[in-house]
Amino acid sequence: MRHAWTIAKNDLALRARDRSIFIIGLVAPLALAFIFNLVFGGGISDVGETITFEMGIANLDGGPIGEAFAGVLDSIAADGRLRIMEFDTAEEARQAADEGGTGAVFILPAGLSSSVLGGANATIEVVGNVDAPTTTQVASSIAEQFALGVRTADLSVGTAMATGALQPQDAIAAAGEAGTAPPAIEIGAIQAATRQIDSATYFVAGLSIFFLFFIAGMAVTSMLEERREGTLMRLLAAPINRKSITIGKSMASVLIGLGSMTVLVITSTLIMGAEWGSPAGVALLVVGAVLAVVALMTFAGAFAKTAEQAGNLQSIVAVTMGMLGGTFFPITQEGLLGKLSLMTPNAWFMRGLGELAGGGISAALPAFFVLIGIAVVSGSIGLFITGRMVKP
Amino acid sequence: MNNGRVLEATDLKKSFGDIHAVRGVSFHIGVGETYGLLGPNGAGKTTSISMVSGLLQRDGGEVLLDGQSMTTTTLAPKQEIGLVPQDLAIYPDLTARENLRFFGHLYSMPKAELSKRIDEVLEVVGLSDRANDRSSEYSGGMKRRLNIGIGLLHRPKLLVLDEPTVGVDPQSRNAILESVEHLSSEGMAVLYTTHYMEEAERLCDRVGIIDQGEIKAEGTRRELIELIGQQDLIRITATGVNDATLADLRGLAGVASVSPTEDSLDMLVNDAGAALPEAMRVLTAHGSGVSSVTVEEPDLEAVFLHLTGKALRD
Repeated sequence: MRHAWTIAKNDLALRARDRSIFIIGLVAPLALAFIFNLVFGGGISDVGETITFEMGIANLDGGPIGEAFAGVLDSIAADGRLRIMEFDTAEEARQAADEGGTGAVFILPAGLSSSVLGGANATIEVVGNVDAPTTTQVASSIAEQFALGVRTADLSVGTAMATGALQPQDAIAAAGEAGTAPPAIEIGAIQAATRQIDSATYFVAGLSIFFLFFIAGMAVTSMLEERREGTLMRLLAAPINRKSITIGKSMASVLIGLGSMTVLVITSTLIMGAEWGSPAGVALLVVGAVLAVVALMTFAGAFAKTAEQAGNLQSIVAVTMGMLGGTFFPITQEGLLGKLSLMTPNAWFMRGLGELAGGGISAALPAFFVLIGIAVVSGSIGLFITGRMVKP
Repeated sequence: MNNGRVLEATDLKKSFGDIHAVRGVSFHIGVGETYGLLGPNGAGKTTSISMVSGLLQRDGGEVLLDGQSMTTTTLAPKQEIGLVPQDLAIYPDLTARENLRFFGHLYSMPKAELSKRIDEVLEVVGLSDRANDRSSEYSGGMKRRLNIGIGLLHRPKLLVLDEPTVGVDPQSRNAILESVEHLSSEGMAVLYTTHYMEEAERLCDRVGIIDQGEIKAEGTRRELIELIGQQDLIRITATGVNDATLADLRGLAGVASVSPTEDSLDMLVNDAGAALPEAMRVLTAHGSGVSSVTVEEPDLEAVFLHLTGKALRD
């Protein structure tokens, strides 16, 4: 173990000398954190704040349907989620959308109400600015939801009239009210299979473990580089157990990985307001994830003959694990994909953080033990196979 | 210790697939002795020393290092060997001192002793003034010297040098050879592989001529030359040589023939080193004036050619 530590220290010194330890362990995580910050527009703390969309309306209808739609927009605007501009003509509205004066505009054509109430098809036109795709999508959703509401109201009013509960003279007003009424049944949030961390922390955590794969790969690539440079022969000629070499290399990777993850967790917490959960629980999961990933990458790299081959193999493993483990986007827990997902340290790290968000340190223990299990199994096989690499 | 032998390699065998790289190589090295493995590239020199150093699992044979059996997994005998690989085996991003310290730790040298020993080794290999510079900044020769320094850091009983002068400029090469001579004079056993005949002749007490994985002949330079029956030529330019002088010269022990030419004498002798003083004594006794002496001895190149039918650099 003493010799393994000597080799680990030497590896760390070499990585410090060629600056890769700073690039991989410090600069890159910080750069990632910075990019996350940019992506999430000023920080995670802003996510909970209201985003205000700018939209416009050219209501050429003048009937109850047009008024009802304007009422819907007004009610959203009253919540502060929408700022509405009104246009007198469709051309003005289109021009405003084209020139970016507003994110999207609704054009309600003349005769909209009479067409709808007469049973004919009618169209609410949504014109979006090319640089505001999100606003345009939201506008389209509002229009579609309103159209759905109108169809529901039409059906309800029709039924009421057929049964005599509603007089024809009251039908138009009733239809308008029905179209804007809140839904009778609210669907509550469905409880997920595991508790969830907020989306920004999710992406920071996901990408940090993805990045960890590349740090962990250094254990094997470093050994293959030593073989190429001839220093491995010197290590093999020394009176040390050959396993000390692979263990020492892995120790260096583990230390760099732990340092890098720590930097990322602290940085994202301080400058982005990320909420990782209980520090002890996070520490536990980080340790488990680092050990599991280093072991997996040792296993993956053991099949390579050169450092370049090892790098390619490890990249494939990192991306595959990232995709399956939900690093880039949440994936379903069902079916084959769900089962495959549970074979990755990425998924268990994310799951552990999710559990941690809803409970104490004990909630993270199952994920921690699975990560350690992955580390033990793949690490044992990896060290066994890398034994064949430890030759001149 | 095994009969004063630091190393005893017996019947070493190693194959790589169908290629028999080493086929029953045996040799031994005593305390303070420098043993050379002389042979062309691909002769089996590096494979042999890889087995001796415990780097390579042998297919057959035995290696005893200071009486202990050497394998790839035994640790104690490795403590007694200092390996200097053919290719540079140093960390270019570390200084000479850091390189030495790292390998010193691997050989479990105590801290205080290590610091002192590092200074000594830096002095021996002539790198004291550049000890704290990164070795990537060194010349090729300096890197080679550091490569050797790492090998002798832990005071091994046997220093194994695998073609240490390949690709080295003449000045650095000479410095390396002087270092090896110095170490040998201090009692260190040295195993030296080379395909340079001059290095083997200069450094080695005994030489094993290796080709195609087999040792073709072994012995001192003189023994090897005698093996092929060639004689030394002493050419003396002298005045006042008469028949009596020639008769006395021909009567000296080890002299095969004496042929006078226009202004000199050509003597074929078994051993020029032994015959020359005697010849000078005879010439002086006869009042002959000697103006020049040249000695031409058959070299190991000739021995190699005789034994293998090809030149060393083929």
